[in-house]
Amino acid sequence: MDFSLNEDNLLLRESARTFLEKEISLARLQVPGATVTDAGYAANWSKIVGLGWQGLVIDEAYDGLGLSCIELAMILGEMGRTLAPSPFLGTLFGTWALQKGGSDEQKKTILPGVAAGTTKLALAVAESSGTADGPCREARAHRHGGGYRLTGAKSFVIDGAAADWLVVAAHDDAAGRREFFLVDAGQAGVQADLLAWRDVTREVCDLRLKDAEGERLALQDDELWPWLRDRILFALATESAAGTQRVLEMTTDYAKERVAFGKPIGGYQAIKHSLADMLGRAECSTVGVLYAAWALSEEHPRASLAAAMAKAFACEAYVAAAHRSIQIFGAIGFTWEMVNHLYYKRARANAELFGSPRTQRARVIEMVEKKAA
Amino acid sequence: MDFELPAEDHPRRKPIRDWFESNPRPTPRQLAEAGFIVPHWPRPWGLEADAELQLIIDQEMKRAGAFLPRNPVAINNCAQSLLSHGTEAQRQRFLGPALSGEETWCMLFSEPSGGSDLSNLRTLARREGDHYVVRGHKIWTSLAHKAKVGVLVARTAPDLPKHKGLSQFLVDMDTPGIRIRPIIDMSGHENEYNEVFLEDVRIPADRLLGKEGEGWLLSTTQLQTERVALSRPGAIWGHGPSARELVEGLAEIGALDDGALRDEAADVYIEGEILRLLAYRSLSDRMNACTPGPEGAIHKMLAAPHGQRVVELAKRAQGPRGMIAGEKPFPTQLEHGDDPYSDWDYAFWFSPAVTLGVGTQEILKNVVAERMLGLPRELDPTAQLPWSEARRKAS
Repeated sequence: MDFSLNEDNLLLRESARTFLEKEISLARLQVPGATVTDAGYAANWSKIVGLGWQGLVIDEAYDGLGLSCIELAMILGEMGRTLAPSPFLGTLFGTWALQKGGSDEQKKTILPGVAAGTTKLALAVAESSGTADGPCREARAHRHGGGYRLTGAKSFVIDGAAADWLVVAAHDDAAGRREFFLVDAGQAGVQADLLAWRDVTREVCDLRLKDAEGERLALQDDELWPWLRDRILFALATESAAGTQRVLEMTTDYAKERVAFGKPIGGYQAIKHSLADMLGRAECSTVGVLYAAWALSEEHPRASLAAAMAKAFACEAYVAAAHRSIQIFGAIGFTWEMVNHLYYKRARANAELFGSPRTQRARVIEMVEKKAA
Repeated sequence: MDFELPAEDHPRRKPIRDWFESNPRPTPRQLAEAGFIVPHWPRPWGLEADAELQLIIDQEMKRAGAFLPRNPVAINNCAQSLLSHGTEAQRQRFLGPALSGEETWCMLFSEPSGGSDLSNLRTLARREGDHYVVRGHKIWTSLAHKAKVGVLVARTAPDLPKHKGLSQFLVDMDTPGIRIRPIIDMSGHENEYNEVFLEDVRIPADRLLGKEGEGWLLSTTQLQTERVALSRPGAIWGHGPSARELVEGLAEIGALDDGALRDEAADVYIEGEILRLLAYRSLSDRMNACTPGPEGAIHKMLAAPHGQRVVELAKRAQGPRGMIAGEKPFPTQLEHGDDPYSDWDYAFWFSPAVTLGVGTQEILKNVVAERMLGLPRELDPTAQLPWSEARRKAS
């Protein structure tokens, strides 16, 4: 029993923080009219690759570091804290899908390149309604020779435009159910269109597939998706909890500096109480995320519950904190040149992707009912 | 990092479980003598237990159906001040009966003129030979009507600034001059709180706790440990039903079909689970001898409104039936010993107290914002003045 982070965890987090604070700048996004193309994706990615973070969760057999969700949380949290625009998250989701679901052959082909930083991945699973839990109605796969051909559309693909390889969920006509396929993003039948995504720190796109060649992953949907979903929810929650902490710090600092009626606005109870609430919720988010990280790394029976709880709580707290921060900064906080809106947009996007807090709460109650029954 | 609680076969469990096997129906005195009431204290009162052992003892007591005697003021707040500031004679006289619950304690702190601004209290204690003579009026005194011992904070030096002129005393509640009047709160339940009138109450000088002028230090320490002691999952001061018990109970009877209720039940459940984790993390941090994070101090700020949400949801799940006195949301009995808050209906009507007592929610938020976030302190224009002068100016 030890609910605290250990020395190594703290050291890893500290080094990630030092690196990102030095290397990541949002300045180009703070210019009115900036879009995600100004976010410095490629430059940030090559810096991150220099540290090998893309290989963090890849097994050592495929040249990765084979670390757990706890170590990942240290890095991913810091990425969330700085909003670091890069194809890290998409590559992570693709890596998880392949590592859990791929055949040894598929893993051998792709994962060492990811670990080396030469290959980027993305996971295409959501429908245009946003749901990712299946069934899949908008993309189909049919057998063709020894492999498959995929046709149709996928939506809300994080880092899809930057990816070299895609893991795509499609309805397998022969099997009569959804399956996952490994698809080369460079082929003619694959087109990724960037969305005018409000969170300009992240590339999100729609995918169009036309007779694209694909290779089915070894593991079936009903075994792969629940495992994958838990980790995706955990990842979004981790970014969100750390983002909330950052918003809290930034807003607290401002409340100490900004003077009105002869004293810092942080001296007024309306502001104090608001920030005290924010601190409380930030701490709750953090501990919820660490619990999920531990439960996932142990493959604990409560892991799915922990991941859903973390996503529900941390995303809601992040949206509230980022919104509140705009209010506390006053009118300046509502301008494009400040970072407040970047955090608010990231918070909102994280909340909506892969099942909103409300959706997660519905899942939590189902799990509690299942236990009670 | 490891969120697993000590396992069923954890080696540290064995001696504890063995003790409960040889003492199947322990009296409170036996529990106290075994060190199980305050395991974190030094011997002979406790076992110098770390957080893990405390948790094991908690769990083993629950398993054996044994409960702490209902003497929260002594056990959670004040008795430990005798370890740090009491005399050996005071420890020998008071600690045994306090820990076994044979002598109930109460805290004579708040006064009608102000609760949050505690250091402005008006009760005076004047030294006369080998006694102090006390005059004043206390209010919101929990358990005063059952107490044998009162921990009194009174002003011994009116001409010093408000925080500096206070002292603490251990008072026999049957001393002549003490009159107790029950306060019937909105629950209509047997009273929890009382008013206490002190008219020329003579307290022997050897009942002074610590030195004259240490009253503020002792009082704030005692209130602080209460905030830590409250970090159990129950809705009312950490006691009574938890969110987990509520939501699992509602799920069991199939009461969560209504969409809005279902969503809120999930929200309350998640909050409850996370607060439980937060409390465990404070334990861990103490065990690892790291400075405890802010969660220790912010726990009550979060737990009090959470508890109100738990009992509120329980009521709402019952519809109009919930307005009938004594009704509960489902038939399952909670296993909380003689804890009065395990009565759902009472817990609900009592629940406004949890954001009032031991620091109002508003004061707690100030404390969190000032101490944890370093925001500017509220200015108290009377803090540096001699108390008697501030009092004259105010009237």
